[in-house]
Amino acid sequence: MSMISQEEALKKPLPTPDGDSVELWEGLKDGKLLLQKCADCGDIQYYRQEMCCNCLSDNVQSFEASGKGTIHSFSVVHRAPGPAFKADTPYAVLLVELEEGPRMISSLVGSDPNTIEMDMKVELVTEKLTDDISLPRFKLAE
Amino acid sequence: MVNKKSIRGKAAVIGIGVSPLGRVPGRSPLWLAADATRNALADAGIDKMQIDGVMSGHSFASPFHRFNVALSEYIGIQPTFSNTYQVSGATAATLFNIAAAAIDTGLAETILISMGDSLLSGLTPDMALRSMTESRDQQYEMPFGIPVSNTFAMTAARHMKNYGTTSEQLAEVAVIHREHAMNTPGAQMTKPLSVDDVLSSKVVTTPYHKYDCSLVSDGGASFIVTSAERAQDLGIEKPIYILGGGECYTHEHIFKKEDITTTGAKRSSELAYARAGVTADDIDTAGVYDCFTGTVIMMLEDLGFCPKGEGGPFVSDRQITYGGKVPINTHGGLLSHCHPGIPGSLLHFYEVILQLRGQAGDRQVQGAELGLVHSLGAGFATNATTILGTESTL
Repeated sequence: MSMISQEEALKKPLPTPDGDSVELWEGLKDGKLLLQKCADCGDIQYYRQEMCCNCLSDNVQSFEASGKGTIHSFSVVHRAPGPAFKADTPYAVLLVELEEGPRMISSLVGSDPNTIEMDMKVELVTEKLTDDISLPRFKLAE
Repeated sequence: MVNKKSIRGKAAVIGIGVSPLGRVPGRSPLWLAADATRNALADAGIDKMQIDGVMSGHSFASPFHRFNVALSEYIGIQPTFSNTYQVSGATAATLFNIAAAAIDTGLAETILISMGDSLLSGLTPDMALRSMTESRDQQYEMPFGIPVSNTFAMTAARHMKNYGTTSEQLAEVAVIHREHAMNTPGAQMTKPLSVDDVLSSKVVTTPYHKYDCSLVSDGGASFIVTSAERAQDLGIEKPIYILGGGECYTHEHIFKKEDITTTGAKRSSELAYARAGVTADDIDTAGVYDCFTGTVIMMLEDLGFCPKGEGGPFVSDRQITYGGKVPINTHGGLLSHCHPGIPGSLLHFYEVILQLRGQAGDRQVQGAELGLVHSLGAGFATNATTILGTESTL
């Protein structure tokens, strides 16, 4: 592991898509969260990988998630992990359970993080960071 | 699966050493590891040239790819069995388990286990946190600003929801660890701490306050492990035997873990107990990885010291200190004694071995013959358990 320079520490980390994930990040640019379903065993998976993590089949097919889910757990961050996130505190990191089954890490937008509770309903919101990257975030469901 | 071929009693710890601990400015991670090694060699009464194996772990402040090789060069030896293991906080117990197996199979005869890091003096606080954050996934976790504490915090939050565990119970974990540290010479935190002090300290990431979180420290620790026969030949007064070990790796991403309130510690400890031929009820004292207060509560359950969901009341009943069911972290742990990063769990080994040798002074758990250390890391992704015992447990 190399050391992080002060300059780098001030920048928020941007994901670098790889061979497994490139379609996920392409989909998010259009506001779509893509999950995968295995045509052989029926397993539904997130994150995206070019192989079923259950039966190891290549026969995985993309589909768009409803974007609906619940808060399986959360933690409101008051002490940021480095300077890049300091201005955002307090913010809620979410462990979202999607309606389709898989869970994902995300963070809350649009509400006071101190008012959220376990098992509340949330909805996907995509947030454009750059021309290449939009992040899947969540707001409380109406 | 428990293989009939067992490491039980095949290898023994014959030397233990630590560097100065806590705030140790001006000392590199290699110096900290090497200083601890000098002390461990002196404790064992052997020469460095008798070491033929070196096992180490990652250092954040000196991020060598091969800390083991750098350390061997630093102390002037050329081992014929050596590696740096990287399973985050679980590394310590993993090293003891593998050392016993390597000695049993003849890959090495006398192994140095050593780590050092200077998270407090070698990195700025922000850089220390950021470098730990970098261990999270760069696509699916880091962009959301996850501090290293966050994954652990989310498991604690769900534990509170599912089992009614309270913030007060979490705070009591910190209070008992502070009581233990106050009896430990050189502990980093020795001021009395109350439940109110914990609950009124700054929130780091809910439900964790400052005093629910482990320290940031400098330090190194080293151990000399050799075969049971060699320990006898050397006339070691109180060898501490490795009786069994187990590991379990349940996920890389916390979102892939179905039940986030039960960890791989359940499986790793089941394997360790079976291999050692003992049960949780037999353990006299334990080193339980205490990166956060909630972690301890979950571990007490998963290691079998109390039923699932009852870790909070178990702590409130003071079952984890003297006079209770199993005194844990009698040195004060990562919460109040010292937390130099990955080497931190070696200090749990150091304390449990002192206890089993009967050398813990005012902190002695009377009649301690059988001990357990559980190391874990990376948001419960990695878990490793080691069971240790005196000659009477063989």
